[in-house]
Amino acid sequence: MFEWLFKYPAAVFSKGEFVLLSAWPAWVLAGAILAAGAALAWHVLRTRAPLEGWRRAAVWLMQAGALALILVLLWRPALSVATLRPQQNIVAVMVDDSRSMGLAENGETRLQQALKALDGGLAAELRKKFQVRLYRFGKDAERVDTTTRLSGTQSASRIGESLKQVLADASGLPLGAVVLLSDGADNSGGIDRETTAQIRQRRIPVHTAGFGKERLERDIELAEAAVPARTLAGSRLSAEVTLRQFGYSQRRTRIRIKDGERVLASREVTLKADGAPQTETVAFQAGAGGAHTLQVAVDALDGEENTANNALTRLISVDSAKPRVLYIEGEPRWEFKFIRRAIEEDTGVELVTMLRTTQNQIYRQGISAPAELEQGFPSRPEELFAYQGLIVGDVEVSYFTPAQREMIREFANRRGGGVLFLAGRAGLSGGGYQNSPLAEMLPVRLADSKSTFHREEAAVRLTPMGSLSLLCRLEEDQEQNAARWKKMPLLADYQETGELKPGAVALLEVAPAGRRPGPLLAIENYGRGRTFLFASSGSWRWQMLQPLEDKTHEIFWQQMLRWLVAGTPGQVAATTPKPVLSDESEAVIRAEVRNKAFEAVPDARVEARIVGPDGQAAGLELTPDPQEQGVYTARWTADRPGSFLAEIVARAGEEEIGRDVVMFRREDGVAESFRTVQNRELLEKLAEQTGGRYYRPGTLAKLPQEISYSEAGITTRETRDLWDMPAVFLLLIALRGGEWVLRRKWGVV
Amino acid sequence: MGLRGWAAAMLIATVGIASLFAFQQRRFRFFQDEEDNPAPIPADAHEKTEFVFARLRYLPGPYARRYYSSWPTDYPKADRQFLQGVRRLTRIHARSMEEVVDLDSDEIFKWPWIYAVETGHWSLTDPQASRLREYLLKGGFLMTDDFHGTYEWEVFMESMQKVFPDRPVEEIDSADPIFHVLYDLSERVQVPGIQYFYSGRPWERDGVEPHWRGIYDDKRRVMVAICYNQDNGDAWEWADHPRYPEKYASQAYRVGINYIIYAMTH
Repeated sequence: MFEWLFKYPAAVFSKGEFVLLSAWPAWVLAGAILAAGAALAWHVLRTRAPLEGWRRAAVWLMQAGALALILVLLWRPALSVATLRPQQNIVAVMVDDSRSMGLAENGETRLQQALKALDGGLAAELRKKFQVRLYRFGKDAERVDTTTRLSGTQSASRIGESLKQVLADASGLPLGAVVLLSDGADNSGGIDRETTAQIRQRRIPVHTAGFGKERLERDIELAEAAVPARTLAGSRLSAEVTLRQFGYSQRRTRIRIKDGERVLASREVTLKADGAPQTETVAFQAGAGGAHTLQVAVDALDGEENTANNALTRLISVDSAKPRVLYIEGEPRWEFKFIRRAIEEDTGVELVTMLRTTQNQIYRQGISAPAELEQGFPSRPEELFAYQGLIVGDVEVSYFTPAQREMIREFANRRGGGVLFLAGRAGLSGGGYQNSPLAEMLPVRLADSKSTFHREEAAVRLTPMGSLSLLCRLEEDQEQNAARWKKMPLLADYQETGELKPGAVALLEVAPAGRRPGPLLAIENYGRGRTFLFASSGSWRWQMLQPLEDKTHEIFWQQMLRWLVAGTPGQVAATTPKPVLSDESEAVIRAEVRNKAFEAVPDARVEARIVGPDGQAAGLELTPDPQEQGVYTARWTADRPGSFLAEIVARAGEEEIGRDVVMFRREDGVAESFRTVQNRELLEKLAEQTGGRYYRPGTLAKLPQEISYSEAGITTRETRDLWDMPAVFLLLIALRGGEWVLRRKWGVV
Repeated sequence: MGLRGWAAAMLIATVGIASLFAFQQRRFRFFQDEEDNPAPIPADAHEKTEFVFARLRYLPGPYARRYYSSWPTDYPKADRQFLQGVRRLTRIHARSMEEVVDLDSDEIFKWPWIYAVETGHWSLTDPQASRLREYLLKGGFLMTDDFHGTYEWEVFMESMQKVFPDRPVEEIDSADPIFHVLYDLSERVQVPGIQYFYSGRPWERDGVEPHWRGIYDDKRRVMVAICYNQDNGDAWEWADHPRYPEKYASQAYRVGINYIIYAMTH
């Protein structure tokens, strides 16, 4: 229809450039149209026809439109379009040979459908105009002479990487276009910008043809399972599990998290609407220290077409070292005692406290040596930064020297520690924090008033964000948890804090009778670390006013302190961007090395000892990253599937600065079982970004004709007249005929 | 304004002042009829503070004289005078006036420190003992004082064993943090009551040896601090008396303060 109306395929219009072939310049045309329009207006206004208002305007519009169209046609409108010269260009035909192409639908595999289209005429039509190079691709692209070598057995699809290889293979040749036949089930994380930019730079259109169902009839896929890479021994963690299902809406299934054969947690879920991503949180205990390989799985339901996409593997490094938290308190308070008691029951965190009992006396508890904190609050970064977390209680800000205040700020910003500020008559605004550099690190904008601390009972409320956070999770089940918070005894006191800062999150609110609720527990990231605010010193009532066996207070404060220190890095912090290598072998190891004051160390000797799945160890040296001071990187080839553990040690001369471990895992042939439906979005986007088109199997017949319009390869510029398009004549008739119909209707013919 | 108007305004003002007064009175439980040694109500008695000295009101023991009640011994002068010391010597934000509490309601759980005097004459019912046990195991602290000799010990223990039938009473070691949390109290003397004025003896009945005993929780924290054969309450009460020896008053203050700070830190 389009071609009948407009004479040429849509590709001509999308690729072509509009030109006027008349020798007269375009501005004369514009002037002529304006003049004709003005003359018609004068004529319409002068005529004594019984037409009023908008009717005159409508008549003028249609007459002027027709005249303008005729004038444009007189200037010979045309399209200038680049076309590939016949038999002088190459077209690369890439056929996806990955295992997902082997999935059968309606009695034929996707690969068979693609080959049927190719051998059924597409290849022959292309060969009439171009030299055709055939490639098969999976993990990599490989040139083949015949389609018989395609089997649909490769363990991965890496479309971007394969495209790069094809472009490199044809780098010195007149490559006019790429035709990519695939289901789009890429499992390398998509096509990166670099590849897209490279294709665009060479102006090579990639035409994509999508095969496979865009949705399965009956399938549950575990799309993602986000688990923290590291944690403290015995911590409670959460896995954010994202499911997508077709055909099982409202059915119930169960998500399980296993460490080997041991089930750590399981949760029954009701499946939501077909195709809609559904994220569920499953809480579990991290267990003892060491490297753990977790399997996150969803139970298969009857008749599932693909059960290989029901489980994912995740790695978690559980640190058995006991982080230390320093708590400074300005005066004896019940909150201090009860926080101490709660943490005494936690084997994972060590609490060191210093309490000002009198003007001249500091009482220390939890110290590891008599000299610890003997001189009061640390005055050197090396001393303060030895702790992983810091709690600032009811201490006026003037108690700290300016250097100590800066150190507290840097404790979060540079050292990457967690700092918790507690309420009190000398805490927060009551202690002048709003006018100090420490105000910057608080998650709220402190009120500029001294009388913000109220010894009045106040209710606590769980916010929507708090109901999702594990920090406030007293019960595994979200609804039961919310119900438990509603029954919480009143706090003994509260402090007005001011509004949340952008980026900060309130997990709990305090709701005093007759007053507006305000943040009770607020958190935010600050620099490399985190800051917390707890705007009450009366949570001890949760311990004293609930039954003896109730562990609310203990659980809450244990979780609070674990959160405070959970992300705190050591002097050596090792990471890897891809903990799970899907059908890849190259792992990147990155280590940040800092001294005791947590300043970057640029001249350290950093070595990794990597233990593979067979228990064999290998050494590797990390080299400084020229872009970032104190950062060292190395690449390592994981030569076999399985889990690898890298221990990184940094030294300055002979002295060890620190060490850390990082885990990664190579998985072959697993990713291909995921996202098995056609990823039409990816194929369409690839075509759109490169100037190509997306085709369904039914429309592939048009491709040989449309593919000619390309600016890559050896081209010739052709001019296509537009004046004789049927659409032009139809428009002219419509304008004149429309006027006649309207005049008839208005009785003014 | 006419006569009627004035009368109405006066009435409203009177009712208002009376209501305010009643409200202020209601914030404390007054036991003026039972006061042992009256003392003026401090000007800042209504201040809301972190620490409140809670005095335990208990039932008299089985062999107590009729109408005799021992809980208010030295009350309220001892409490208020001791609190002046607590406020002056430490950073504890303490109320200047005591709070009288009992074990008949869950209100006790809002006061994590309680002081009980003359517990050689107390008697706890089973529900009271049960509530006290729960209170102590949750983190509350009890200081008992001013009971002497074998007989009063037996009376004390009769109720205490209802609270903790399975936990022993132990001598608190001098190295225990409770004697060092603020003041170093390795060396201690027997603190006598007011009877020392007349008798010249620091002991009463057959309670010659002073004891600082305690009941511990599972983590070896003192829950109940028992000042046996000594009278710290009298020392607080009579610290301002020229004849009461300073060294006894001083120790009583130090022991009391150490116990409070211990209760707020352990």
